[in-house]
Amino acid sequence: MTLADDTLAPPAEKPAALRLLAMLRRDKVACLAAAFLVLVILCALFGPMLLGEAATKQNLRGRNAPPFSLEQGWLMVLGADQLGRSLLARIVVAAQNTMLVAAGAVFFSALIGTVLGLFAGYGGKKTGEAIARLADVIMSFPSLLLAVIVLYVFNPSVANLIVVLAITRIPVYLRTTRAEILEVRERMFVQAAKVMGASHRRIMFRHILPMVLPTLLTIATLDFAFVMLAESSLSFLGIGIQPPEITWGLMVAQGRPYLNNAWWLAFWPGLAIILTTMSLNLLSSWMRIALDPVQRWRLEGGAKNNG
Amino acid sequence: MLRFARKRMLASLVSLVGLVILVFFLVRLTGDPTDLYLPIDATDAMREQFRANNGLNDPLIVQFGRYVWDLLHLDFGDSIRRARPAIDVVLEAFVWTLQLAVITMSLVAVLAVVLGSLCAFWAGRLFDRAVTFVSLIGASAPDFWIAIVAIVLFSIHLGWLPTSGTGGWQFWILPVSVLFIRPFGLIVQVVRGSMIGALSSPYVKTARAKGVKNRPIIFVHTLRNAMLPVVTVMGDQAAALLNGAVVVETIFGFPGVGKLMIDAILQRDFNVILAAIMVTAFAIFLMNLLIDLAYLLLDPRIRA
Amino acid sequence: MKGMSLVLAALLASTAGAFAQANTDVTIVLGEELDLVEPCMATRSNIGRVILENISETLTELDMKNGGQVAGRLAESWEDQGNGTWRFKLRPNVKFSDGTAFDAEDVKHSLERATSPDISCESSRYFGDTKLSASVVDPTTVDIKAEPAQPILPLLMSVLTIVPAETPIEFTRQPVGTGPYVLSSWTPGQSIVLDRRADYWGAAPAVTKATYVFRSDSAVRAAMVQAGEADLAPSISVLDATNPATDFSYPNSETMYLRIDTSVPPMNDKRVRQALNMAIDRAAFIGSLLPEGTEPAVAIVPPTTLGWNPDIKVPEFDPEGAKKLLEEAKADGVPVDTPIELIGRTDNYPNATEVNEALQAMLQDAGFTVNLRMLEVAEQEKLYSKPYLEGRPPQLLSVLHDNAKGDPVFSAFFKYHSDGRQSGISDPKVDDLITRATAATGEERAKLWSELFATVHDEVVADVLLFHMVGFARVAERISFQPTIATNSQLQLSEIGFKN
Repeated sequence: MTLADDTLAPPAEKPAALRLLAMLRRDKVACLAAAFLVLVILCALFGPMLLGEAATKQNLRGRNAPPFSLEQGWLMVLGADQLGRSLLARIVVAAQNTMLVAAGAVFFSALIGTVLGLFAGYGGKKTGEAIARLADVIMSFPSLLLAVIVLYVFNPSVANLIVVLAITRIPVYLRTTRAEILEVRERMFVQAAKVMGASHRRIMFRHILPMVLPTLLTIATLDFAFVMLAESSLSFLGIGIQPPEITWGLMVAQGRPYLNNAWWLAFWPGLAIILTTMSLNLLSSWMRIALDPVQRWRLEGGAKNNG
Repeated sequence: MLRFARKRMLASLVSLVGLVILVFFLVRLTGDPTDLYLPIDATDAMREQFRANNGLNDPLIVQFGRYVWDLLHLDFGDSIRRARPAIDVVLEAFVWTLQLAVITMSLVAVLAVVLGSLCAFWAGRLFDRAVTFVSLIGASAPDFWIAIVAIVLFSIHLGWLPTSGTGGWQFWILPVSVLFIRPFGLIVQVVRGSMIGALSSPYVKTARAKGVKNRPIIFVHTLRNAMLPVVTVMGDQAAALLNGAVVVETIFGFPGVGKLMIDAILQRDFNVILAAIMVTAFAIFLMNLLIDLAYLLLDPRIRA
Repeated sequence: MKGMSLVLAALLASTAGAFAQANTDVTIVLGEELDLVEPCMATRSNIGRVILENISETLTELDMKNGGQVAGRLAESWEDQGNGTWRFKLRPNVKFSDGTAFDAEDVKHSLERATSPDISCESSRYFGDTKLSASVVDPTTVDIKAEPAQPILPLLMSVLTIVPAETPIEFTRQPVGTGPYVLSSWTPGQSIVLDRRADYWGAAPAVTKATYVFRSDSAVRAAMVQAGEADLAPSISVLDATNPATDFSYPNSETMYLRIDTSVPPMNDKRVRQALNMAIDRAAFIGSLLPEGTEPAVAIVPPTTLGWNPDIKVPEFDPEGAKKLLEEAKADGVPVDTPIELIGRTDNYPNATEVNEALQAMLQDAGFTVNLRMLEVAEQEKLYSKPYLEGRPPQLLSVLHDNAKGDPVFSAFFKYHSDGRQSGISDPKVDDLITRATAATGEERAKLWSELFATVHDEVVADVLLFHMVGFARVAERISFQPTIATNSQLQLSEIGFKN
C-alpha cells in the first residue's frame, strides 16, 4: 500500500524506496499489478464521492443494458444492472466497502492470529496447548452460525462483518505461525541467540517473525480473495452486507440469477475480485524477492538473468 | 506418541464441552423457533402449547441442564422440524460431507504439492507463470459461478454428465471439481512460496555447493522441510470442507452437512445445530491431532 | 479470458437436449425438501405438494378448474343441520393403502388427531378458535359440529387429511391414505418415490410412478428438465423461464403488499398513506423486475376469492400528487420528514432485493425519506407480527401473503382486525365488517367481504397493496400439465398426462 505514497514523495529523500521503484519499473508484470492496486485504492478513497449519485440512479426501462455501448454515456460502458444503474459506477463505489471489509478482516485476523501463534509456538507448553485448542474451537465453529449470531444480535454493518470474517480466519494464521515456529525455534541461530542471552521478546520478534513472514504474506494475499468471496456468500444467504450498501461480493451474488440472460451483472464485479487478488499476489511475491537481500539480484540484474 | 495423543484427546474433550456451552447459549440469542415453525396465523394458545411441548418455556439454565443430562445418555435431542433424532439427521448428512471432503482433499494434496514444487523449481519461467495464473483465478472465482457454468456446459450443452444429484461416479465429477478449485489454487501458492524459501536456504545451497547434482534428492529433502505450513493450510481448507460445502451442496443437491446446517440455523432448529457442530468439531479435532502428529513425523526435532 | 467467453457463449446458446422416456414414470424436481411426510402437516406447501390428494385425501377439495368451487372428494355430499352441525355423506367402498376400509370412524379420528394438543399439526390452524368435534352416525355418515357455528365448514374440510383410525397421535413416517398413490421410499435429503395403487377407488391416473428430487437452486431445476433428467419443475424463477415451449406462468396466489403500522406517526395520517400509494409506479415493475402476467393488486387476496371487488381502482401513479399531499400534511404539523424503514426479506421471491430497492427509489422520488433493510426470515417475522416493538420507527413491511383457499376469512382477521396478529390498523368499522362477514353465508358473505375490501382500500387506506404474483413451471415436452393457482400448495399427479 505504501507504493502509492512513494510515487508522490520527493525522490531524493528516500533512496531505498527509489531503488525499489526502479526495480519495479523493470518488472512489467509487477508494475502492472501495482498500477491496478493504486487504481483500486483511488476508487475506494474517492469513488463514493465522485460517482455515489450515478451508482444509485435507477432506470427500470434501461435495465440490464448490455456492455460496450456508449449510447447511454460512458458510465454505461460496462452495461447496466437489474435496476438500470451503471455497473461501472457501482463497481467504483463498491471498491470502498469491499476494500474496507477485505483489508480489515485480513489485517485483524493476520495480526491476532500471528501474535497468538507466536505465543503458542514459543511460549510455555501450557499456553501453547491452550491457544492451540482455542484454534480448534474457532475452526469448528461454523462461520455461518457466527455470522447469523453477530448480525442478528447486532447489525449487518461493515464493522460487524469485519469482526465475523476476521474471527473465522484467525486459526489459519495461528496454526501456520505455530507450526513454523515449532520448526524454526530449534534452528541454530535461535539457539545461539538464546545462549547469548537475548530476551524472549527479541527472539520472537527479531529472529523468528521474519522467518515466518513470507508464508503468512502468501496466505494473507490469497485470503483477500477468500474474504471477498465469503462476504459474497453471506450476502447470498441474506446475512451479509445489505443493499443499499454495496460490495463486489454482493454484486456478484445479486447478479448470479442473471447468469443466463445478462452475464455482465456478475462478471464485472467478479473480474474486479479476480484482478485485485491476482495483483496483490503478484506484487507480494515480487516484494518477497525484492526485499530479500539474497535474491534481489534476480530483479536488479535485468534481462540477462531471466533464463 | 501415544501419550501425546491421549493428552490431546483429553484437551480436545474440554474444548468440545466449551464449544457446546458456547453454542447452546449463543443460538438461543437468535430467537425462538416457535414463530418460524408455526404459521403466522397460529393462535396464542397454539404457540403456548408448542413452546411447552418443546420445553422452550423453561429458564435457559434448566433447558441446558436437561440437554446435558440427555447428552450424558447419548441423547442429542430431536429435530423440531423433522421430528426425529437430531443425531440421525446429522450423521446421514455427514457421511456425504466426509466423502466429498476426503476425495477432494486427496486430489488437492497430490496435485497441489507436485505442481507447486515444480513452480518453485522453475520460478519465473513460463510453467510457473501459467500455473500461478490459473490457480489464482481458481482461488478468486466465485464457486457458484463455476458450478452453474459447468452444469450448463457439461450437462446441457455437451450432455456428458448429470446436472446434479447423487448416484454413480458420474455424479461426483462436477461437485468435486468445483470444490477442488479453491483449495487447490490456495495450496499451490503456499507450496510454491514455501519451496522457494526452502530452496534458497543455506543447507540446500551447501548441498549444491558440495556438488550434490542429484536433483531428486535435493527436491525430496527440501519438500520435507517446506511441508509444515502446507500441511497447516491444508488442514484449514479441510476443516472448511468438513463444515460443509454449502454452495456445492445447494447447487448439486448433495445432502451434506453444510446445507443441513444452514437450514437448521435459518429455522432455529437448535438440536440439529448442536449435533452438527459436535460431529464436525469431533472430526476437525481429530484431523488437527493427525496434523500435529504429522509435524512430528516431518520434523523429529519438534516437541509439539 | 478466452476460455471464459467460450463458456459464456455456450451459456447463451440454448439447446434442448431432452431425450424422451418412453414410459409413464415421471421425475419432479422441487425447490424445497420435505422435512416430514405427516398428512396433518400437508397444509405446509412443501409437504402438501407431494402428499396432498396423492397419498392422503380430504373430504372436500377446491376445484380450481371450475372457478374455485368446493367439490366432494371422500365426501359425496353434505348439508347444514343448523346449530353449527354439518352432516357429511361419505364415499363407500374406499380402501386405505394398508387394505383397511375407510369409514366414519377414520374421519372422527383424523379430526381428533389433527386438533390434539399432543402433536403440533398445522392443519388445525385453519380452524382457529373454532372447536370442532365429530360424531359417527353410521359407517358412511359423520356429523361435524363447530362451536361457534362455522358457515364455511365444507371448505375447512379441504385441509383435513384423512388417516386410518389406528394411526397413533404422533408424527408418522409411513403415511397411509386413501389416495391413488402410496409412499414406497423416502431417502431424506435425496428423493421420495410414490407408486400408483391398484385398488384406488377412482379412475386410475396416467402416471405410474413419481420420483421427487430436491434442488434449491432454480437454475439447476430448470436445467434438469432441459437435460431430460426431470419432467416437471413446478416452480422456477422468472429469470430461468426462457423457453416458451416448456415454461408456463400461473398465478401463484401470493399477494405482495407493504404493511403499514398506522399507529406510528407520520403513518397515522391518511394523506401520508395515500401519498405512499400514489408514489409507486406499479406498471413499471411488470415485465421488468416482475414477470408479465403479474397483476396490480387492490385486495390482499387473489381475484379468484369470494367477495373480490371489481370496483376498486388501482391508485394512479402520481408522484406530484403525492408530494402535494405530503406538503399539506406537513403544513398540519405531521412529521413527514421522519425517516421510514422499508423492511424486505431476502430471497422472498426472485428479484426481492431489486424490487425493494426500486420501491425505495420511487418513494424517495415522491419526497419520502426511506431506508431499506433486507432481513432474514426470522428477523423480519419478529417485526411483522405482534407484539410490535416499543419505540419503533415508522416501518413499511414488504411482504407476501398467500391465500389460495378461496375465502378471505383466512386473511381478513389476521391482517385487518384490531386484534389481528399482523394488523397495522385499528378501525371499529373494519372490525365489525370482519365479524359479520365471518358469520355470514352465501350472497351476504360475498357482499360483506366486498364492502370490507373497499373500506380497507379507499376509506382507511390501510396498506400499500402491490401485486398478485405469478410463478413459472417448466414442463417437459413429453408430458402435459397445466399449472394453476393451486400448484403452489398441491400438485395432483392425476393431472399429469402424456403426449402420444
